[in-house]
Parts: sequence; C-alpha cells; structure tokens
Amino acid sequence: MMRLLNICVIAALVAAAVYVYRIKFESTRQAERVSKLRMEIRREHDMIAALRAEWSKLDTPARIQDLATRHLALKPLDPRQFDRLDRLPERPPDLVPPGTADPIGVLIAKPEVMDMATAIVSAPPAESVPVPRPKAKR
Amino acid sequence: MHAASEPAHPPAAEPSRRRLMRALLYGHGVDRAAKAKARLGLAIAMFALGYGVIATRLIMFAAAPESHLTRRAGADAVATARPDILDRNGDILATDVRMPSLFAEPYRIIDIDDAVEHLTAVMPDLEVAELRERLSSKRRFAWLKREITPQQRAAIHRLGLPGIGFMTENKRVYPNGVAGAHVIGHVDIDNQGIAGIEKWLDRSGLADLHMAGLATDRLQKPVELSIDLRVQHALRDELVKARVKYKAKASAGLVLDPRSGEVIAMVSVPDYDANNPREALDPTRINRLTTGVFEMGSTFKALTLGMALDSGKISLRDSFDARGPLQYGKFAIHDFHPQNRILTVPEVFTYSSNIGTARMALKLGVEHHKAFLRKMGQLDRLRTELPESAEPLVPRNWSELNTVTIAFGHGLSVAPLQAMMALGALMNGGYLIPPTFRKRSQQEAMAIATRVVKPETSEKMRYLMRLNVEKGTATKAEVGGYYVGGKTGTAEKVVAGRYSKTKVLTSFTAVLPADQPRYIVLIMLDEPQPIPETHGYATSGWNAVPVGGAVIARIAPLLGLEPRFDLPSSDNLILASLRESR
Repeated sequence: MMRLLNICVIAALVAAAVYVYRIKFESTRQAERVSKLRMEIRREHDMIAALRAEWSKLDTPARIQDLATRHLALKPLDPRQFDRLDRLPERPPDLVPPGTADPIGVLIAKPEVMDMATAIVSAPPAESVPVPRPKAKR
Repeated sequence: MHAASEPAHPPAAEPSRRRLMRALLYGHGVDRAAKAKARLGLAIAMFALGYGVIATRLIMFAAAPESHLTRRAGADAVATARPDILDRNGDILATDVRMPSLFAEPYRIIDIDDAVEHLTAVMPDLEVAELRERLSSKRRFAWLKREITPQQRAAIHRLGLPGIGFMTENKRVYPNGVAGAHVIGHVDIDNQGIAGIEKWLDRSGLADLHMAGLATDRLQKPVELSIDLRVQHALRDELVKARVKYKAKASAGLVLDPRSGEVIAMVSVPDYDANNPREALDPTRINRLTTGVFEMGSTFKALTLGMALDSGKISLRDSFDARGPLQYGKFAIHDFHPQNRILTVPEVFTYSSNIGTARMALKLGVEHHKAFLRKMGQLDRLRTELPESAEPLVPRNWSELNTVTIAFGHGLSVAPLQAMMALGALMNGGYLIPPTFRKRSQQEAMAIATRVVKPETSEKMRYLMRLNVEKGTATKAEVGGYYVGGKTGTAEKVVAGRYSKTKVLTSFTAVLPADQPRYIVLIMLDEPQPIPETHGYATSGWNAVPVGGAVIARIAPLLGLEPRFDLPSSDNLILASLRESR
C-alpha cells in the first residue's frame, strides 16, 4: 500500500516537473517573441518617423515652388479667380429632354435652333462664342 | 525517550569522569533531551528562513518578468527624445530621426588590422590612421563614427567583427530648414534646446524629464505652433526678393491674427538654417521682430491717433494747425509731405503729419500719453514663448519734447512684435491680447485679453487705416478684393547720435480686411536704397508698401480669405456703420 502511494507520488512529481518545465520553456519563448515584436515596433516607429521627415523635406514649400517655376506654366492665384459656389449662375434648361435616343436629331428638328446656328455661322467672328439660350421656348 | 519527570540531577551512579565531561559540554543542571529539541527547532527555523528567501526571490522574478529586456531598450537611445513640432496645419517643423552610430570596445577586438581593413572597405570615408589609433587604444569604449546610414549598418553587421557595435541616437531634423528657424530655434549636439520654441520646450518641463531619463519615448505629444508654414514661406520668399531689390541691409515681416494674438508667420532676413545652428551666431542674423528694438516712425502715429480718439477730447471732425513747422525750444518739427494748411484729423493721418500728431499728443499732455503707452504694453518688455526678447528703450526723463517726438514714432524704441500687439488692439475692437506662437482659440485669447480702448475708437482707427490706402501714403498696397487698410512708416536711423537722412527704416503695417480685421501684416526694410524704379526715393511708400501689397496678394488666398469686390469706400462702409450705431 505504502509502496504504491510512493510510486504514485514520484510519478506525479515527475509529471509536475515536466509540466513546469514546459510552461517555463513556453513562457521564455513568448517573452522572447514579445521583446522581438517590441523591437520591430520600435524599428517601424523609427522608420515611419524617418519617412515622415523625408516626406516633409520633399514637401517643403520652397522646393515645390522651385520645381513649379521650373517645370510648370502656372502662376500665383489672383483674387479674381475664385468665387463662392452659391454665386454660380443657374444652369440653363436642357434643349433636349434627358434620355432621348437621338439628341442631335431632335435639335435639328427644332426650327429655332437652326436659326441660331445659321446666325452664328453668318455672323462675323466675335470675341466670344455666344451661349445658345433657348429664348424661343418662352 | 526520557520522561519530563526525570530528576534534574543525574544519578550518582555515573562515573565522575563522565560527569565532568557532561558538565563541560552541557553545563550543570540541563536536561539533554530538552536541549536537543530546542536545537532541532532552531535548525528547522533556519532552513525555513533560507527556503523562504529563495521562494520570495522566485516570486519576485516571476512578478517582474524581463526587467533586463526593458532596461536594454531604454539604454539604447543616448541622446534624449523630443516631441515633434508641428505648424497649425499639422506639417512637421521639427522631428526626431534615429540614427545608428558606430562604436568599438577596443579591448574585445582580436585582430586590429583585419577590423581596420574591413571597416574601411565598407566606409571609405573613415580615416585609416585615426581608426587604427582608436581601435588600439586601451579605453573600454570609443566612437568610430556618429550617424551612419542603415545600409552601412547592415554591411558592418554582416562583417561580424567582435567588439564593434551600434547605438541608435536621436537626431533633431528641421525639414524646412530656413523657414521659421527664428521661431522654432534649434538644439545642441545633446538634443537640448538652446533657442526659440525648442528652448521653451526644455524650460517647460522637458529638461526635467531628460534628467530623469524618462524622455526616451518618441510618442510624446507633439507641440502645435500658430505658424502657418505656407504663409511663412510665402512671406520669406517675398522678403528675400525685396531685400535684394531694394538693396536693404535686412528685411522682416510678421503676420498676426489680431483676434487670437496668434503669430501666423514671422520672418527676419537674413536668417539661418536650423539644421546648421552655427549660422545663428552671426549677429546680423538676429530676429529683428522680437530681439531688436526700433523707433517705429510713422507707424506709431496710429497709436497716437488711437489715444486721441479714445480720450473723447478729439474727434474725427477736429482739425490741427500744420501751417508751419512746430517750434519746440530749439527744435523745429517738420512734415515730410508739408501741406502748410490746417489739417483735419483724417488728413493728419493720411498725410502722415508729424506736426498734427505732435499737437494732438501735446493737447492730451505728457502723463496721459505715458499712461496710454503703458496701457498698450509699449513701455515694458514683451514676454512670449520665445526666450529671446528685448526691453524697450524708454526715455528716462519723459519731458514734453519726448511726447512730441514719440507721438510720431521717434524717441521710443520698441520690439516690432510689441508695436503690432498694440495695433492689433486698435483694430480688433479694443482688446490687448499678448501675442503667442502656440495655437490658441479666440475664446482662450479673450480670457486673457484686457480692454484698452473703446470699440468705437477701434472702428474709427480702421476707417483711418482704410482711408490711408484709398487716398493716402499707402495706395500702392491696394490689393483688389481684400479691403486692405494700412499705415506707412519711415524712421530715420540714429547714426553717431544724429538722425541720418539717408539711412532709414521703412515699415508698412496693414490690416485686412479693414472692415472686419482678420490679419495684421507688418513689413520692415532696414536701410533700403533708392533705385531707378522708386525715382530716387527710399521712403516706405516706395518700397515697404509695394512689398506689403505683394505679400498680401500672395498670402490672402492661402489664409482662406474670401475676396469681395463690390465693397463701397471706407467713408460709406466703416464710417457709416459707426454713425448708425450712435
């Protein structure tokens, strides 16, 4: 009886030792992995910082201005070049109802459009092309 | 086992020799069994203590795992980390980059010749003789090269030389170089701030963190400045061009938000590259806007006018005698654009009449003048985040003559930023707001603002500023759509104790839009020269004003100001609203 108990205890001891060893081994491995990941994160952070620094260096207004004057025909903005969206004029009504199969055919069929076209062709070349307004519709 | 009832005295049958031995070993009258028991107890306690210590140590190790790993990571960064500095839109003005540095532990190197040969193969710019000397020294540690590239690091790592290692260091970089260098400042080799906002950062607690070794984390909260990088660049670009064009000694410019006190851009040319701080030691490269004090000239007349209108004793309808020079003792005050007639108050401003403003100040008296300037913060040192600041030069005995000259901007030297703070108060409805270089909301600004003039005075001043651009000395600054108001200033510089006629400091102060001010722009040119284009003049209207116009045309779209082209003249817009409110 006593012997059986002893054997059982020894077996349990060995099992516990093996189990503890495995836990220990696993935890060491995990700790190593954590520190490795941490190192990688740090390296990534450093890399991001370096790239951000490089980006802002390339993005410097002085450099962009230099490149723009050398390669582009753009000029600085004039105050007259922008306006508010709500001050945009109303869109003229469509000459042709949307979804027509043959829009040009419908246009030609309208007499007032043809009159306007001949007027434009026969008129002396103007500074700006007049916008066709569907006056006759009213 | 012996029973406890055993007699204390041993039986007499014991031989005398043995009794002696026992007495020597155990002493007289001691029970042997009880003693053995006590000793056993002591031994158990000792062992229990020993095992207890081991167990607690084990628990301690388990509870604080890998403490050795974290310590190694912390020791890696030699130079201390600093927070990023961003502009108001989040663009980077200063950041940290980690750079590997190469070091050697000479006592661990096995073959010096081999190491030298391999290292110079990877990095040809290493000095062979110096490298050999460093490697053969007896020291335990020697830097071989600071700041190497990651490619070089990888190549050296692959050589697998014993006793050669890398250490990463934080290096401060300023991607924009010259733009904003005077504001941002710079750091020394150990990453400690020594100028500008960098120094302010150290003063406000970062240095203590560095001392405690806690500031190694790069995830510190970035510092947001009020500077707008694009405006800063545009202003600098125009000022550099202006300095060349008018052959000026220096040029400086400032963009200030009068509603929040934020400095949007501040440029003083010549400036320096923050990545090369040695340039900053050159005294001509100082920041003229905060570190220099100047007699602001006619720009100061705006303050005199503001004082006069705010006193209630002088109104826009009053007039002042400017028919001849103002005699004061042996001094005679002349006008630069003499009209030789009686001028109304708006005319005094638009013709920039020295005589008129001097008479105004005299009418109010010396004490009133002094008190007003003190209230406007012109007599005390202005302190901002920037550690560099200058004390205004105030006359020690303030006589009536001082009041006469200070009325038109001579005899009192202030930092230009200081003067702009006062002008901001005259424009924004009467609140004096200390300028700042950090982002600040209007609410925060109003919490620290003090009311210095009445709102009507501010309205009248805006009318005068606008009038001056419509038909005064600053007509060249008119930029369509932005309703610019402005005041010119040409101050003669003191050379060898006398005012020089040829060496002048011209300035132009603009407010835009004049009916609801959003920005104040200051342009200063130090000793501009007459050029053919200016017909031999070197006054403000011919150089600082056109520069101001160019700057405004360029920065207004960047600042998101909406152009308005259908605004009536200042008489009908600002003055009319003033009459209505009465």
